[in-house]
Amino acid sequence: MPHASPDTGALTPAAMIEARALTRRFGTFVAVDRVSLRVPAGGILALLGPNGAGKTTIVRMLAGLVTPSAGEAVVAGCDVRSDPAGVRARVGLVTDVPGLHEQMAPAPYLDFYGQLYGLDTATRRRRVANLLAFFGLDDVRTKRMAGFSKGMKQRVALARALLHEPPVLFLDEPTSGLDPLGARAVRELIRELRSERRAVVLCTHDLDEAERLADEVAILRGGRVVATGSPGALRAGGATETVVRIELAGPCPGAASTLTGLDGVLAPTVEDGVSCPATVVTYRTPQPRETNPAVVARLVAEGAGVVTVTSERRSLEDAYAAVVESDGAVDRERVLERNGRGRGG
Amino acid sequence: MGAVVDRVRPRVATPPGDLKATLLIARRGAIESLRDRSTAAMGVFFSLVLPVLLVMTSIWPRADSAEASGGALAGYLLLVGLLPTSAAVGSASGQFAGEFEQGSLTPLLASPASNTAIFAGKVLGAVAPALIFAAVAETAFVGSLAFVVPDAFGRLPAGLSVAMLALVPGVAVFAATVASLISSRVRTYSSAQQLAGFALLPVWAVVGGAAFAAQDWGTPIMTAIVVGMIAIDAALVALAAATWRREEVLARR
Repeated sequence: MPHASPDTGALTPAAMIEARALTRRFGTFVAVDRVSLRVPAGGILALLGPNGAGKTTIVRMLAGLVTPSAGEAVVAGCDVRSDPAGVRARVGLVTDVPGLHEQMAPAPYLDFYGQLYGLDTATRRRRVANLLAFFGLDDVRTKRMAGFSKGMKQRVALARALLHEPPVLFLDEPTSGLDPLGARAVRELIRELRSERRAVVLCTHDLDEAERLADEVAILRGGRVVATGSPGALRAGGATETVVRIELAGPCPGAASTLTGLDGVLAPTVEDGVSCPATVVTYRTPQPRETNPAVVARLVAEGAGVVTVTSERRSLEDAYAAVVESDGAVDRERVLERNGRGRGG
Repeated sequence: MGAVVDRVRPRVATPPGDLKATLLIARRGAIESLRDRSTAAMGVFFSLVLPVLLVMTSIWPRADSAEASGGALAGYLLLVGLLPTSAAVGSASGQFAGEFEQGSLTPLLASPASNTAIFAGKVLGAVAPALIFAAVAETAFVGSLAFVVPDAFGRLPAGLSVAMLALVPGVAVFAATVASLISSRVRTYSSAQQLAGFALLPVWAVVGGAAFAAQDWGTPIMTAIVVGMIAIDAALVALAAATWRREEVLARR
C-alpha cells in the first residue's frame, strides 16, 4: 500500500516512488515542506488539498520537471536529482488541461511523442492504434484536435501518457471535463493500471473518486502532508459521533420527547411526514451499538412502526474538511504570501 | 537510496539523442506554425504579395534610374527576405509563453528530451517556416523582377547578392533566438511578443539600414557582416541552449 507522511519515512526497496523530506522553495516561499511518501508498484496514492497546497509542485518534482530544494526522491529506480531524464522516460503525466497541439490530429500527435520517447516505428503504430481504439478515438484519428470536445482532448492526453507504457503515472484531475461514462472508463483504466502493477499518483478534488480508487490518501495543506492513511482510516479518524436516521411507518408525535434525555442520544429531531415523504427521526450518538437498540425499543413501545434504521458514516469529504479547515488562518496567511510573490504551487 | 535504484529500475525504450530530438521538436513546431491561419496569411502576404508589389511600384517605374542599379537591387534582396522572417518572432514568442498558456508545453517538458533539444528545437521550429516564406519571397521578387526588368540578373552583383541572401537566415535565427529567450522568461504570449518586438527593433533598423548602405559598403564589408552574424548566432544559440532550464519556465508560473 502507498504511504505518505509528514515525517521522514523508512526506505523500502520495493517502492516505485519513494520520497523523503521533499522540499521546494521559490525564493523564500516554501511551496512543499518536507513531504515523504511511498508508492509501491500497483499502488494508487491520491493527493488531496486546496488549490496552492503543493500538489502540482510535488508531482513536478517527482516527474523530473523541477529539482527539489531539499530532500530526496527515487521514481522508478531513478533519482530525481541526478537522473531527471531517466525519471521522465519512465513516467507518464496528465495535467488538469489536456495540453495538446491542437493543429495536429491525434495519430501524428501521439506518433510525435512516441518518437520522443524512443519507440520504434512498429511499436508506435501498434500502440497508437491500440490506444486510439481503447479511448474511442479511432474515427477521428486524422482530424485536427482543435475541434474536439474537452472529453476527447482529455482522452488523447491520457493516451499520450500511456504511450510509452510507463511504470509510474501522475494523473492530475484525469476525469476533469469527461462525461459520466467517460469518467467511469478512465476510473476503470486506472484500476487496470493498478492490476498491471503500475504506480499511480492521482491529484484530484473529487473526493469520491479518491475514495473509490486510492489505496492511500495524503491530504496536503500549505505544502505539508497533514493527514494520511487509507480512505477508510481517514473517514474513521477523529469521528466521535454517528448520525442515525430512523424512518417510521407513520406519525409519532411523542418521538422527540421520548428520545430527549435518553442516554447517548444527541440533538434528536423529528420530521413529521408533512414536509417530507415519511416521518423521520434523526439523532447523533457516540455509542451507536448501545444507543440504537434502546432508541428502537423506546419508539416501538410508543407505538411507532420502525421501517428502516440507517447509520451515516463520516465521509471522506467530512474528514477532508476537518483536516483542511482546522487551521485556516495559517493557510490564508500562506496564500496571501504566495499571491504576494506571484508563485504557483 | 542506491538499493532502490538498483532493484526497481524498469527498462524503457532509449529516447533519441539531442540532434534527433531537436529535429523532431523543430519539425512539429514548424508544421504547427504553417497550419496556423494567421501565420499562413501573413506568410502569403509577405512572401508573395509584397515582393511583387515592390517590383511593380518601386522598381519597374524607375527601371532605368539609379534606384534599379545592381547594388540597389541587391539591397532589395535583403529587404524582401527579411520581411517574412518577422513571422519567426511571432512564432518564437508563442513557443514557450504561448504554449504554456495553452498547456501544451508541459507534456513536452515532461518528456525525456533534454533542455538543449527543447530550446534548439523550438528556435529551429520558429525559424524554419520563416525561412520557407523568405525563400518564396526571394523567388517571387526575382521572378517578377526578371519579368519587368529583362536584364535584372545581369545587373545584380553576384558576391553582394549572395551576402544579402545569406544575411536573411542569419538575422532570422538571431531574432528567433532572442524572441525564444524572452518567451521562456515571461508569463504571457502578448508580453513575449511586445518585449521581443521592442528588443529587436534596433536590430531591424540596423539591418534595414544595411540594405540601403550595402551598395556603398561593397561585398567585402557585407561578407564580413554575414560572417559576424553567423558567429553571433552560433554563440547565442549555444549559450541559450546550454543555459536554458525547463524548470525556469515552470517556476515562473
